[in-house]
Amino acid sequence: MRKEKMYIKKAKTSRDKVLRGLLYLAVIVLVLVTLYPYFVMFTTALKSRAEIYSMQGTLLPIEWQWENFTEIWKLAPLARYFINSIAISGGATAIAIICGIPAAYALSRMKFKGKKFFLGLVIVSQMFAPVVLLVGIYKVMSVLHLTDSLLGLIFINAAFNQAFAIWLLRGTFMSISPEMEQAATIDGCNQLQAMIRVLLPVAAPGIVTALIFVFINAWNEYTVALTLISSDVLKPLTVGITVFNGYNMIEWQYLFASSLFATIPVVILFICIEKHLVGGLTSGGVKG
Amino acid sequence: MKKKKILRAAGPYIWLLPSILLMTVFILFPIFEVFRTSLSEVSKAGIIKGFAGLDNFTKVVKSSTFGLVLKNTLVWTIVVVGLSTLIGFALAIVLNNEFRGRKIARAIVVFPWATSLIIQAGVWKFIINQDYGTLNTLLMKLGIISGNVNWTPTPGTYFAWECWVGIFVTIPFVTFCVLSGLQSIDASYYESATVDGAGFWQKLFNITLPLVKSSLTVSTVLNIIYVFNSFPIIWTITKGDPANRTDTLVTYLYKQAFYKGRTGEAAAISVIGFLILCVCASVYMILSLRKEDQDA
Repeated sequence: MRKEKMYIKKAKTSRDKVLRGLLYLAVIVLVLVTLYPYFVMFTTALKSRAEIYSMQGTLLPIEWQWENFTEIWKLAPLARYFINSIAISGGATAIAIICGIPAAYALSRMKFKGKKFFLGLVIVSQMFAPVVLLVGIYKVMSVLHLTDSLLGLIFINAAFNQAFAIWLLRGTFMSISPEMEQAATIDGCNQLQAMIRVLLPVAAPGIVTALIFVFINAWNEYTVALTLISSDVLKPLTVGITVFNGYNMIEWQYLFASSLFATIPVVILFICIEKHLVGGLTSGGVKG
Repeated sequence: MKKKKILRAAGPYIWLLPSILLMTVFILFPIFEVFRTSLSEVSKAGIIKGFAGLDNFTKVVKSSTFGLVLKNTLVWTIVVVGLSTLIGFALAIVLNNEFRGRKIARAIVVFPWATSLIIQAGVWKFIINQDYGTLNTLLMKLGIISGNVNWTPTPGTYFAWECWVGIFVTIPFVTFCVLSGLQSIDASYYESATVDGAGFWQKLFNITLPLVKSSLTVSTVLNIIYVFNSFPIIWTITKGDPANRTDTLVTYLYKQAFYKGRTGEAAAISVIGFLILCVCASVYMILSLRKEDQDA
């Protein structure tokens, strides 16, 4: 099947040339507008406070204050926030995938009563963001002694990404023919062995997509961490960097320097999976 | 052997168990707690004192701010989802063409999707600042304005900027959903349409739209839920102030619960939010399950 590219063909007539020009113009405007906040983040992170608050605004820093990028690590326990973010996202991802793989496997390979009900439940749970449930989450976590704890955030992030993980994984598994696993079972593997040895290696790209997606979601989570965590040493980056956002004076240069550190790794990860993600979302989501 | 038989009967459910446990404890229990709290009399310390019927709900609905907050939530959801769907769709059409640097352009468009909302909102709060914001600097350097413009003279303009940030971060999701739909369209449809003399708009409405309809449905319904529940943007830029003029249900309930200690009322607001979203959820389920039957 050929890719669709029929709106604007290779320029032949003058009308086509105009269209082609408009296309490039649209792309350039789009790229510039999208990059603008990142440009602001980057240039402001390199300015001095005096320059940021001066009446004469500047586009680029007068003096490039590269030391801002090292200063932030001394001014706030950023390294600590970083480790917390990695622990929360890594832990949540591991749990979400370990619970999600067998569920997605059952949903894609087995027939059983209540399958539609469970699928419905998965969809419905996707409808409820943690913020609407904060009152309840806070109560449940108090009972479990998991407020102000990294473990608590790990479980919450894992649970709220569970639906997505199952959805993506199920889509991947369904696109793989079950014949190989059946052959393996005849050769004496049980179902679990067949899944681990035969299916999972083939499904690796889909699994990696789900992994990274959950990781990024947990990495960027803000509201639950804000509510549950009170000790400074347990804050993830999203909550931690707001220390530069004080009541009287916002230290924009430090806020943006640390924001860049929090943003760049996930943006790179996201670009890696972008292609697989949307295919998985819509095909896994709609075709079922 | 006996053990094996039991295992086989329970089979699928054992595979589902870890996932069910996880979601039960950390999603279903909180849902139950929210409903219980909304129907209870709660002390300031958050301790449930007894059954209160619908008292919390009447308190919430009777308060003078609730109507305003509900209106803000609807405007926020409709404006952000509506405009980002329109713009995202248009961008997908643009990005689906062959042109130089297409891969780079598509990678860049993803940026706002991958960035934490709290960071995006922080940058935009800085950009639109009247005194030192970079939007004024940029427009002055370009010679478009001659003095600093106050971009947020009223709560309404603040809210409009918050909507813009919401649109900005929501567009990539729509664009990529539509793009994935567009890529599965067979080029021969367009070729025969061109032979038949169909113009750009005819092809758009008669071929493209019907074929990406399911992608658009998925992205729209998911976006309605995400945007309705979106907290960080408004929280970062205005915290719902001044005087609740930029509050939506989620920021309002956060303040009720964690600033004012009105846990019961906050839970009631959550339940009202539930009910509104349940309507969306059931529409989504009906649509996606019906699609499943068609495919099966």
